[in-house]
Amino acid sequence: MERIKKSIFEQMPFFVSLPAILWQVIFLWLPLFFMIFLSIFFVADHFGFTLKNYVTIFNITHWYVIGRSLAIALITTILCLLCAYPVAYYIARRGKRAKTIFLFFLALPFWVNFLIHIYAWFFLLDFHGVINSLLLSLGIISSPLYLLNSTFAIVTVMFYCYLPFMVLPVYTVIERFDTRLLEAAADLGASPQVTFRAVTLPLTLSGIRSGVFLVFITSFGEYAIPLLMGGGKKLYVGSLISDYVLIGQDSALGSAFTVLSSIVLIITVGLINFALSKKVILKTVFR
Amino acid sequence: MGEKISSMSKSIFAHCTLPTLVILTYLFLYLPIIVLIIFSFNASDVMYVWSGFSLHWYFHLLHSSEIRHVIFNSLIVAFSSVILSVTMGTLLVYGAKKYIERLMIIFYGSMLFPEIVIAVSLLTVFSFFSVPLGFVTLIAGHTLLGLGFVIPIVYGQYEHLDESIIEAGLDLGASHVQIFFYVILPYLAPALLASSLLVFIISFDDFLISFFCAGATTQTLSLYIFAQIRTGLSPEVSALSSLIVFISSLGVLILSSPRVRILERMLS
Repeated sequence: MERIKKSIFEQMPFFVSLPAILWQVIFLWLPLFFMIFLSIFFVADHFGFTLKNYVTIFNITHWYVIGRSLAIALITTILCLLCAYPVAYYIARRGKRAKTIFLFFLALPFWVNFLIHIYAWFFLLDFHGVINSLLLSLGIISSPLYLLNSTFAIVTVMFYCYLPFMVLPVYTVIERFDTRLLEAAADLGASPQVTFRAVTLPLTLSGIRSGVFLVFITSFGEYAIPLLMGGGKKLYVGSLISDYVLIGQDSALGSAFTVLSSIVLIITVGLINFALSKKVILKTVFR
Repeated sequence: MGEKISSMSKSIFAHCTLPTLVILTYLFLYLPIIVLIIFSFNASDVMYVWSGFSLHWYFHLLHSSEIRHVIFNSLIVAFSSVILSVTMGTLLVYGAKKYIERLMIIFYGSMLFPEIVIAVSLLTVFSFFSVPLGFVTLIAGHTLLGLGFVIPIVYGQYEHLDESIIEAGLDLGASHVQIFFYVILPYLAPALLASSLLVFIISFDDFLISFFCAGATTQTLSLYIFAQIRTGLSPEVSALSSLIVFISSLGVLILSSPRVRILERMLS
């Protein structure tokens, strides 16, 4: 009896760590593999190995949808990076108190439900909204612009929602960046441009990479913003997946499309990872 | 002379562009929220026409049983997910600290894939095995998202724990359970607080997993707002949204205030 008790006790670390692992395996990894399984073993409720789902998916309209999502994710990521890098640089060079205040106000919108942000943008972009009334009263335009239900609206709101996610990782690396390197570079006669390309950029690349991945992956699968801001006129990966699963009730076909777009996403992320590696960046910068 | 002026104007330009860009960025980040809050005090029924200040829509909000209901649902799901993910995550860090680096890949999965992929795969499994959708499925999904954040945060703190304290406790005759409750938990308190807060927000704000895994009967706040946007905007939602903005800001403000930091230090 005592022996059993002791052996249970020795195994305790194993037992207490089990729930978290099991939870993640059951609710994350099994469903993901189940989806792959479903996509190659089920067609219209018939069981058996088949590639029919993928044959159905492999047509030009689906590639358009994937391409559109890739394009919009890429545009959002580039815009976020272009805006976030200087902002992060500026914040990281402030004093301790100012830094805290800047970061606090940067992170504050993150604590508010992002659907509320989308909702708020309607006030600005609507046909009778704030931007149109402002432009009309200033006499810049003579009739209201159709700002909603457009790619412009989608990109604006995605840029708005994901900007903090780009600033924070970039800020973290710039903050740790040793400024004496800049002085050393200047002392050795490098111009600010050269210093930026040869020192600052390569040394802050890790932050850029995590920011880019964060924004790119989330905006590729974004569902609510393209639907609400785009008016559902054009299909994106998120909306097509939900159409298959929720409206079409065709899990197998939906799974096949989800798997296909995930593969495209993984390949693209791999390519971006390669393009943002130190070696490639240095080579392009100093060609 | 001319060269000097041009280089001077260049440096003024360089000194001004960066702050201007930062100011514009912050204006951009806050403009929609400010407009939203202003219009929530609008007396008019028509969304974009300002017709005077009124708290009309806030009173409306107080009397809406539907909104109370969805907030209640969201709170249940968020609290359950916090309790589950923080408990399981802490136990994992405690039990498997030696292997945690290798185990981490299991938990990072939720960040490697877009949330819609996770949501759809969950729904596929639930509907294939005809699991009824509702609170249970929602909490399952939110807890798995939460674990991905809890474990790195808690481990980040646990890493720095001096092992000799534990050994000293054991030498003095404390049991492993006592060590866990009297030494390790108090030490982890700040990390537990931070990760609880994060999981709470993630669950409370989550849209995609809720959208796919909530079923027809369980409505959360995010789903309610989404439905409102789809059916047409109502001033009531502006009041609700502004209220959420106020409460969240207040919460963050309180949690980042010096007094809380002192409290944290006392706990740790």
